Amino acid sequence: MPSQAVLPPGVSASRFKSALKEFAGAVGEQWVLSSDEDRHAYLDAFAPGDADEHACSAAVAPNSTEEVQAVVKIAGRYGIPLWPISTGRNLAYGGSAPVLRGSVVLDLKRMNRVLEIDEELGCALVEPGVTFFDLFNALQAAGGKLWISTPAPGWGSVIGNALEHGVGYTPYGVHAETMCGMEVVLANGEVVRTGMGGVAGSRDWQAFKYGYGPVWDGMFTQSNFGIVTKMGLWLMPQPEGVANLVIGVPNVDDMPVLVDTLRPLRLDNTINAPYTIQNPYRSVMDDFLGEGKQRAQIYKGPGAIPLSVIENEIRARKKGMWNAGFNLFDTDKGLDLRLEAIQEAFAKVPGATVQIKRWRRGQPFEGWMRVTPGLFALGGVDWYGGPGGHINFAPIVAPVGERVRKLYEAIEKRYHEYGIDYYCGLLNIGNRAICVNAVTFFNREDAQMTRKGREMYRVLAKDGAAMGYGDYRAHISFMDDIAEMYSFNNHAMRRLNERVKDALDPQGILAPGKQGIWPHALRGKNRRGSPT
Amino acid sequence: MRFAAASLICLLMASARVLAAEPAALSPQQEHGKKVYNGLCVFCHAPGLWGTTTLAKRMDKQHAVLDGRTDLAPATIRVAVRVGIGSMPPLRKTEVTDSDLDAVIAYLTRAGGNR
Repeated sequence: MPSQAVLPPGVSASRFKSALKEFAGAVGEQWVLSSDEDRHAYLDAFAPGDADEHACSAAVAPNSTEEVQAVVKIAGRYGIPLWPISTGRNLAYGGSAPVLRGSVVLDLKRMNRVLEIDEELGCALVEPGVTFFDLFNALQAAGGKLWISTPAPGWGSVIGNALEHGVGYTPYGVHAETMCGMEVVLANGEVVRTGMGGVAGSRDWQAFKYGYGPVWDGMFTQSNFGIVTKMGLWLMPQPEGVANLVIGVPNVDDMPVLVDTLRPLRLDNTINAPYTIQNPYRSVMDDFLGEGKQRAQIYKGPGAIPLSVIENEIRARKKGMWNAGFNLFDTDKGLDLRLEAIQEAFAKVPGATVQIKRWRRGQPFEGWMRVTPGLFALGGVDWYGGPGGHINFAPIVAPVGERVRKLYEAIEKRYHEYGIDYYCGLLNIGNRAICVNAVTFFNREDAQMTRKGREMYRVLAKDGAAMGYGDYRAHISFMDDIAEMYSFNNHAMRRLNERVKDALDPQGILAPGKQGIWPHALRGKNRRGSPT
Repeated sequence: MRFAAASLICLLMASARVLAAEPAALSPQQEHGKKVYNGLCVFCHAPGLWGTTTLAKRMDKQHAVLDGRTDLAPATIRVAVRVGIGSMPPLRKTEVTDSDLDAVIAYLTRAGGNR
């Protein structure tokens, strides 16, 4: 628990006390949370090191857009940085903790209303505190004609996940692409609505993303340019059927052929939802975790588990060395055609196995369909025993087998060097990309283990950049490191982001440091790595 | 923190008793607590899910499903929820209000008395 009071940078204790009083006037005294216990609850629960490095000074929890506006204006007067969170469950990326120690967390969890569901038009309008569980329940109560796309852990916010470029496992799985219309509070307290929301009295906000003029929605994702207080979502009409495929290949060297065989099927949408390829370690570790087992039950020696041990376990389990899993969504007849094409393609891959499950409308939902939210993915954090956590190094690569192999092996080399088990999934995002999601699990109470994980992450960021790759997302402790990977034209992207930041938020009160975007007054002083 | 977590595990293991029979009726507060529990806690603590399998690993199967134990003390539940325990993150007041937490405690301690 934080043992000492934390203040926003450059704000005296007496001024901070005055600000908290004003925040209380805006949101109600009980929703200004500044006790040690309250502040502890906003620390990164899976911190790869000392969580106190990202401790907040307090949290404020508004219940409406108007209250958000009021808080932003007060923060502006006092020069207090705000760190907006939707539900604060961005686990493995910092949870509810700010990049900049001493920021006040703007907790939007109380804004948890599903404002509209339109089953005819296939869309909804929600607030930031709505979780995947909330939306699933609301859609079922509304008639069940629409399905959500949920990420692996469904605890978090629907809006927050889309804003952070999260992904799910249905044809609507690129969540940033299914946003349609935002309401945003800017740093000066003004409210704007994007797309058709810019038309006063529009009923078509969730029908068309582009409106008239520049499309701003992307600017408010993975950024610190505004606070999203409402978002429209496109939702998938319930299909007639779902099929699940698990495709295994028998050899460690078979990953490129698996990637190359999947690519055309995904590109022409025969495979109409994202696939995940488990590497050999993940194939075994997922099984173990599902069986309630821990690492010590397979290996107790020093360093990473040798690949030979993993291979033996896979053979004993009669699994593929690499396993691709995905679902198809269509009519019954449509599924038959898709399955035929996929089986035909993999019949040409020596030793490939294809396992299929089917679901038809009217049957109970099955876990493998991944259309109901769950938290099973969090089980992995216990891999090393003790209170666990994880961070993800996640560069993007085109699905070309040899290119994926080179990047995968460069990361693998570091995992072996640092003695960390190489749990990795090749996560397909959209029709044309793979995220090499290299996960580092750790025991939070093992300082040496967390230090190794942090060191390796920073080495990987440099390795990846040298190979021409960049990550799609980052933990709060590594946001500058990943921004550093985007170095084209001497960081022209960062300079553009900074110009926009300074124009929209000249005082720099919104989420300083998010995605490596620092306001003018804090550049250089706080950023890791490069000079201003 | 470490001490608190270790103490909590000892406390949880102190007396292993499994609920013998569901009480006939719940008080209004316990009823509300059941609703909160089933709307939030079960996403990890239902049989077969993460919280349950983790407790089964760290303690034993008898202690794994929270909604079925008689050995949980109010303070134990309060600390686990507000401070977190093991891999379970703390839950903030915006997720579970103090009155909702009181109700969950009343529900989970319904058969074990208030210790």
